[in-house]
Amino acid sequence: MIRLLLIELYKIFRRPRTYISFGVVTATSLIFQLAMKAGGREFFEFGMQDISEQFNIQGNIINGYLVAYLILQSLLIQIPLLVALVAGDALAGEANGGTLRLILTRPVSRTRLVMIKFMASSIYTIMLIVWLAVMALFLSLLVFGDGDMINLKSETFILLLKHDVMWRYACAFGFACLAMTTIASLSMLLSAFADNSIGPIIATMGIVVVFTILSNLELPLFTAINPYLFTSHMVGWKGFFDADVPYRAIGKSAMVLFLYTSGFLAATILYFNKKDITS
Amino acid sequence: MQINNQCAGEAVMNVHGSGVNILLKTASVGGGIGYPLTFVTPYSYSNSLLLPPIVEIQNVTKSFKKVPRVSDLSFTIDKGDVYGFLGQNGAGKSTTMRMILGLIFPDAGKVLINGTELTNSRRHLLRHIGAVIERPDMYGYLSGWDNLKIFAALTDATIKEKRLYDVLEQVGLRGRERDKVKTYSQGMKQRLGIAIALVHEPDLLILDEPTNGLDPQGIAGMRQLIQSLSRDHGKTVLVSSHMLHEIEQVATRMLILHRGKKIAEGPVQELLNPEEMMVRIGIVPDDVITRKLTESQWQKHVVTAADGQLTFRLNREMIPELNRWLVNNGAGVTDIDSRHSLEDYFISLTND
Amino acid sequence: MIRVLAFVFTLFLLPFTTMASDAQGLYLTLRSKVLTVKDYTADVRVLIDVSYMQIPTLEGMLYYKAPDKVKMVRKDGISMLPRKNISLTLGSLIPSGGVTVLDAGTATIKGHNLRILKVIPDDDKTGIVLTRIWVDEGELLAYRTETTTRDEGTVVLDLEYGSYARYALPDKVSITMDVKEYKLPKGATMDYSEAPGTPKKPVAAGGKNEKGRIDITYLSYKVNKGLSDSIFADKDK
Repeated sequence: MIRLLLIELYKIFRRPRTYISFGVVTATSLIFQLAMKAGGREFFEFGMQDISEQFNIQGNIINGYLVAYLILQSLLIQIPLLVALVAGDALAGEANGGTLRLILTRPVSRTRLVMIKFMASSIYTIMLIVWLAVMALFLSLLVFGDGDMINLKSETFILLLKHDVMWRYACAFGFACLAMTTIASLSMLLSAFADNSIGPIIATMGIVVVFTILSNLELPLFTAINPYLFTSHMVGWKGFFDADVPYRAIGKSAMVLFLYTSGFLAATILYFNKKDITS
Repeated sequence: MQINNQCAGEAVMNVHGSGVNILLKTASVGGGIGYPLTFVTPYSYSNSLLLPPIVEIQNVTKSFKKVPRVSDLSFTIDKGDVYGFLGQNGAGKSTTMRMILGLIFPDAGKVLINGTELTNSRRHLLRHIGAVIERPDMYGYLSGWDNLKIFAALTDATIKEKRLYDVLEQVGLRGRERDKVKTYSQGMKQRLGIAIALVHEPDLLILDEPTNGLDPQGIAGMRQLIQSLSRDHGKTVLVSSHMLHEIEQVATRMLILHRGKKIAEGPVQELLNPEEMMVRIGIVPDDVITRKLTESQWQKHVVTAADGQLTFRLNREMIPELNRWLVNNGAGVTDIDSRHSLEDYFISLTND
Repeated sequence: MIRVLAFVFTLFLLPFTTMASDAQGLYLTLRSKVLTVKDYTADVRVLIDVSYMQIPTLEGMLYYKAPDKVKMVRKDGISMLPRKNISLTLGSLIPSGGVTVLDAGTATIKGHNLRILKVIPDDDKTGIVLTRIWVDEGELLAYRTETTTRDEGTVVLDLEYGSYARYALPDKVSITMDVKEYKLPKGATMDYSEAPGTPKKPVAAGGKNEKGRIDITYLSYKVNKGLSDSIFADKDK
């Protein structure tokens, strides 16, 4: 099992396209940091207008913690695409390349193959998030320094003291790993259906975008289904940046994501075990 | 003693009291056009006695989107055979090979490897099989060596580096193994595919159109490789082609597939006997004649018999005698068409 | 007869004028006491209690320079104080310049018997329309002020005194003021809506404003040591 996992990782990390994701994370982080350096204060004060009319806010507002949060906020929409780039390719890419039939003529069980592909995709996902942490958080801290972190929510203004932030990031990145693993499992499922990898990648993004829109629409019909959409729970990492962390809700979200992941994985295994390999 | 005739291409003789089943290799024909007929001939492969065939296909049927690809196909491959699959593109060769490998699941029928049903222990049985199906696709961005190592690791056995070098030597890729596969020629890819198929020392090698895309030199090399694998390494080989002469040159037994159905099956030398002719006789449809035929000495020459179309394989000088027998038994013969060889017959199918 | 009438009239008015001048006197005495403090530096603890804000107690240094410069500094941190016009020191809430002071009776707050002064500035440069000051006449300390501004609503200061009472500097100030509502589009913030920790903003009846409260606790003062204006320069802007 470990040998096969290592082979899978070897295949992933020997492929140039894998590094596109790391490049994208690096580039967007750097561009974002540059933009924040240039006009971050104006940008942020636009959001804080209502508050700064009434309060005189002083200090290093645009610090590494805030910049990292803003990067995460905007990047975590695109990270599913980067996860799908590898996870959506896991089975479909092999089918497209013709290697799937060669693999399956070897004495490897299909269930095990799916599990290994999923584990390898998850490891890639986690590495991507670790890289995101390095680029978005640690580089931002280096460039912008630390300080108390302001978190603007739709109806709440939160200030977190600087010594009270790092553990929240640790938890948030952990949660992001879980959320992105769900994306990986979704991509795997779509990948099992397809014989080329573009389909599952686009389908994954389509589902994430549509569900995210549904998650954010405040119409009665959608608010009713909101709790059942995995995209509503994927932003659970933000819960760690509330003054009082809503552990119960985050736990519930984590459970929902875990169930989705297991469901997607089980469906992949069921389908793939019955699939005729005609590619 | 009773003999159970099967269109599968063999007869099981159960010797009363002994409890011993004796497998007799047969050349069987039919099924494709008419109802199956089987005749028993003595067969020289003594190693087939008492051992389960390495591959046994029983009444396998497979459709894709309601289009039948393989219909009620049965045959067996014994240890040591070089078994040729002959058929046009789309005849069902690849589909059948994929079913033997568990890539595709039959809608009906059974696939047995070494006497065990494939669905029951696919993983265990695949340890004894190596295969190259259709194009030899590999990871182009990795070296030949990496590809070989990866696919070697996908078998449960621990394979030593020496074995990897040996198998590269065997297929003639030694020295090029560090190059990326995307720089390989079609022939090199094909040989790497065979190296991958051989690396875990399987008993059965399945090669789907291995000469596709090869130049004449490559084709000759592939033929030598298959012959050597059979002769020197004792491998059983299942090889497919859409060209009769390719099969003819390497195979000991062959099966002709047409539109998913078995047309003919038997030892190559018998099927391609130059003394024999394929004779198609048109008669006024008559069930009595068909029944009488199965009971006569002509039965062993019947290839197909249905709807007023009788196909025989026999020597030229036997044609007048057969004609006389038919007329004497009341058949209304409408036409006689004789072709020189199975090849002619195969080409006539191709031209349908 | 006219003299009699004038006398009666004078008698009648006399208490009012003397009362008015008492109030004016009290106010001016209080103001001069407050104005003895030219500047101070204080260790403070600020607690902001606004329904839509989640802010922990902020510890830092508060700098004040008469008449109206205030700045809070937290080392490597973010400080938040209410804007200048609804500021938090007596110095800036007690109108300077010409005023009309009226006596508005007495009241008792936390055991102190206090006189209430109504102060109406003669001009409205400061934006202050009316200030009511609850003054302990004996201690000469203001325990509460209620300032109505033209644009910023009403600000109430409750003050507690301790060891710096001689400078009229409080140990604790609680500011109650109107705060405007705050809302950002959900599409921009993409909130995690499952989080119940978010206090739901109560819908204020007909108004956009609600009350906020800021407690400032002064731990220690350094008074009149001389502060340079540069401290108050906004470095971040």
